[in-house]
Amino acid sequence: MKSKTGKKLLSLLAITGLSVTLLGACASDVPPAANIDTKSATEDAAETTGTESSKVIKFGVIAPLTGAHAEYGQGFDAATQIAAEEINAAGGVNGYTIELECQDSAADAKTSSDIFTRYGEDDSIMAVIGDFTSSCCKANAPLADEYGLVQISPTASDPSYASMNDYCYTVMYNQSTAAPWTAESVVGHYLGKTACAVMYLNTDWGITTNDYLLQGIDKAGIKLLGDESYSENETDFSSVIEKLKATGADCLVILDQGNVPTIINQVRAADWDCQIVSLGPGASDQILELCGENANGLVIPCPSYITEDNPTTSDFYKKFFEKNKCAPTDHALCAYTCVQVLAKALESIDGEITREKIKDALKDVQYDGMAGHTQFNEDGGVNRDLLIIQVVDGTYVIQKEYGYK
Amino acid sequence: MTSAYFISQLMNGLCLGAIYALIALGVAVIIGIVGFATFTQGEVVMMGAYISFYVFLYGGNHVIPGILGSFIATWVLGMIIYKICYARFLDAPEHISLICTIGFSMLLKNIALIFFGADKKPMLNVIKSINYHFGPITVSNVQLLILGTVLILVLILSFVFTKTDWGIRLKAVSQNREAAALIGIDVEKTAMIGNSIGCALAGAAGTLIGIYYQSCYPTMGATLSMKAFTSATLGGLTSVPFAALGGILIGIIENIGIAFSSASFRDMFSFGFLILMLIFKPTGFARKRSVRA
Amino acid sequence: MMEINMIKKYLLKYGTAMLLFLLPLIVSKSIMTVVCSIAGYFIIAGALNSINGYSGQMCFGIAGFYCVGAYTMAILMNTFHISFWIALLPSGIMAAFAGMLVALPTLKLRGMFMAMLTIGFSEVMRMICLNWTSVTGGTMGIKGIKAPLFFGIKTSGASRYYYIYLVTALLFIFCTNRVIHSRIGRAWMAIREDDMAARSLGVSINLYKILNFMYGAFWAGIAGALLAPYKTYIDSSYFTLDEGFNILSMVIIGGQGTLAGPMVGVVIYQLLVEGLRFTGVWRYIGCAVLIIAMMWLRPQGMVGDSDSVLAGNKTVRTGSNLLSNLHWKTPGPIRKLIISVLY
Repeated sequence: MKSKTGKKLLSLLAITGLSVTLLGACASDVPPAANIDTKSATEDAAETTGTESSKVIKFGVIAPLTGAHAEYGQGFDAATQIAAEEINAAGGVNGYTIELECQDSAADAKTSSDIFTRYGEDDSIMAVIGDFTSSCCKANAPLADEYGLVQISPTASDPSYASMNDYCYTVMYNQSTAAPWTAESVVGHYLGKTACAVMYLNTDWGITTNDYLLQGIDKAGIKLLGDESYSENETDFSSVIEKLKATGADCLVILDQGNVPTIINQVRAADWDCQIVSLGPGASDQILELCGENANGLVIPCPSYITEDNPTTSDFYKKFFEKNKCAPTDHALCAYTCVQVLAKALESIDGEITREKIKDALKDVQYDGMAGHTQFNEDGGVNRDLLIIQVVDGTYVIQKEYGYK
Repeated sequence: MTSAYFISQLMNGLCLGAIYALIALGVAVIIGIVGFATFTQGEVVMMGAYISFYVFLYGGNHVIPGILGSFIATWVLGMIIYKICYARFLDAPEHISLICTIGFSMLLKNIALIFFGADKKPMLNVIKSINYHFGPITVSNVQLLILGTVLILVLILSFVFTKTDWGIRLKAVSQNREAAALIGIDVEKTAMIGNSIGCALAGAAGTLIGIYYQSCYPTMGATLSMKAFTSATLGGLTSVPFAALGGILIGIIENIGIAFSSASFRDMFSFGFLILMLIFKPTGFARKRSVRA
Repeated sequence: MMEINMIKKYLLKYGTAMLLFLLPLIVSKSIMTVVCSIAGYFIIAGALNSINGYSGQMCFGIAGFYCVGAYTMAILMNTFHISFWIALLPSGIMAAFAGMLVALPTLKLRGMFMAMLTIGFSEVMRMICLNWTSVTGGTMGIKGIKAPLFFGIKTSGASRYYYIYLVTALLFIFCTNRVIHSRIGRAWMAIREDDMAARSLGVSINLYKILNFMYGAFWAGIAGALLAPYKTYIDSSYFTLDEGFNILSMVIIGGQGTLAGPMVGVVIYQLLVEGLRFTGVWRYIGCAVLIIAMMWLRPQGMVGDSDSVLAGNKTVRTGSNLLSNLHWKTPGPIRKLIISVLY
């Protein structure tokens, strides 16, 4: 009996080992072949179009295509593709065509770092765009350093992320400036409130944002009536809302993304007629769609405003809508910006392109696009200005332009 | 922090508990008739909500066709689930069909993600929300509808399973399959009907939950179904009224706990309560011990 | 004849050993990350198998023990600056202690009630780690857990850390093989097959059930403790219920009640998840279909113990050819098993 199981085990180990080696052999064979294929394909394309470009630059995209943040992850995928298509249609960068590979992290730090490792090992990947959540980005940060591979996140706004090492960049505004600004300028000056209640998502992002917001609230002399957190997979907010409502606050600040529409609906269902301010979701059409009349009066500090009517963004809006069947949010625009910024960095590099050179070139990139002016600070973050947008009669209206104090 | 505040928190807990109870009813029916646990229930709830969403989208905001549509569609889904997850494994150990249901729930969730999209779909103004005030308590008509549905379903199901011939035949299958077959009950067909009833209840629950939260999305069932399963376990897995009681208790305990601490601890209250109850009552509230569980 | 067999056996044995030890030199680093995750999952799946497979209990909350082990290691290393090698054993022991805490109330429970209690425990464990910010870092997790030094050699990176996983996995196989062929292991299997009979023959069921939970939890804790320095960063999202269900699926796909079962399950599951990655969102559908198909074709798992009650002694219901070669439960071996516990 013993020898039988032993033998079984051994043969299994052997099979495992063999299959892994086989897999390894396959994997190590495949990339060059694939490279040649894509090269020849683009060469063919180049021949037919008559340009000389024949080289491909590959970026890896990590996005939560499934799971709780799937809506934003699929936006990443679509937006980065739009950017790459636009750049390639315009003849590429310095003779290079941009190619993207997108993989799903499900906003799970473990999967995200697995994918990052795979990109790190793949020599054809020159930079990584992603991930959505700050926690995933922070889990990947040591790997970025280890592989010398830039990780440029469209949305990680946790201030401690971008400063983790030289290879970490983010194009999202930094909560260390945005959250206090929201407290002082939006709640204090614009709305003229002297007291407010706060509810925030109990994640890495939510906690840091809440900390900065409280600093701002303190500084502006606003009275904090309640500060409540809730876990990520919450569906019923009635008890938290009841708790904050009982404090008698007439202004509620929500720090969240995907749950904001649900919370607004439940606030209104609880008969709480308060002013709602939300930092995080951006001017998303989802809120208008899901809340209907309940959204009226909602104030959102937002780095950009994308609509079909706005002449600068309508093109992007249409392309995005065609690809993803829903309206883009600021997050998607940031993903788009990431690709554009990387392209700008490539432009400034002469000679052979390496991961190291991209890292250095990103420091000096200046890009003016739909998301305003993008330039990285020392940490690798950006200082973006915010608009104050309010929902009036079911549509977003820009109430204060950039630079409101 | 007055008594009015606690009463309204209690009311919130009752309403949340009613939602857990609504799903737990279906779970208890399935375990009570088929004899196997299911982890697909949350996804059936989600499917029910999506089907009624499309009914409302193309047929206008009428509650009855929405509930009927999802009831019928999830009934059929229940037949499919039965064929895939239970039919072959009626005599096998329960972990086999359980893993099948885990697999099937993964399948449904991801199919929904691909075909319905990841974004939340609005279910606005299906029922115009009206709030009623009774002293310190505020209740909306949707909450009353859900509470009423739970109460009526508990009464109907209890009556059917204990008083009618047909209901007793359904119950007999899970309690002793061989004996049931001997007295001429078609075991396979009965188990399939049982599973379909459970799934259809979940589908109708999905519609109500969608209306209550005014939206539906692919992951909406996941957390709710875990709570519903906890409720059914508290109620002894097979008993319909006790499953509903379990759901309402969990809702109330969660909300009272949150009133004293933070919403981040929500799951700690419900699962902590489950663990405590199981230590003192190893088979839940129900006195009788079911055969398979 | 004998000699050829012996040579074959040795060739197989040492060839496999050589292959396993030289693996990082042969394959690329990105393959090694897959191998490392296979090895890590093998330990935890094996741990779950020793609870569910050998003593037939229903533990659905293995992620809880995994969580305890990982956090113990991370806290010992980062807060108390204790070396990895010293902290490894306490991590396992801590998880085993948690196992005992779970085992005590579950003694009276059966089937789904036990499954729900372990699920509840797993979530409560995760909630504690998520909310006890001062100790566990809360949602921030614990960052910067350094890979250990082995006589001055850094073990960071998949190709080097692989050896730690490999040695632990081999140790796990060795220990478990010893345990299940001892009196304890036979007692576990006797409880699984027929606890009434085992009890009536004088097997102290409660003691062995607690031991069983502690043993499984110990190795789950070790698996968690190995995970922390490998990932350098842990937070509670590693230990969700879904993760527990994944591990359970691996064990059941591979087959319960044998040492090889979880290994096969883990390899199949991981290769499938990795192999289907290119299909994007469709890969979970592939996984789901595989799980269901596996249950249809081989309910006892790929290399599960076909003689045990876990295989479903009457799994074959109506005219399926594929299943007709299943083994049927015979009372003989079980009687022998119980007798062997006693004498």
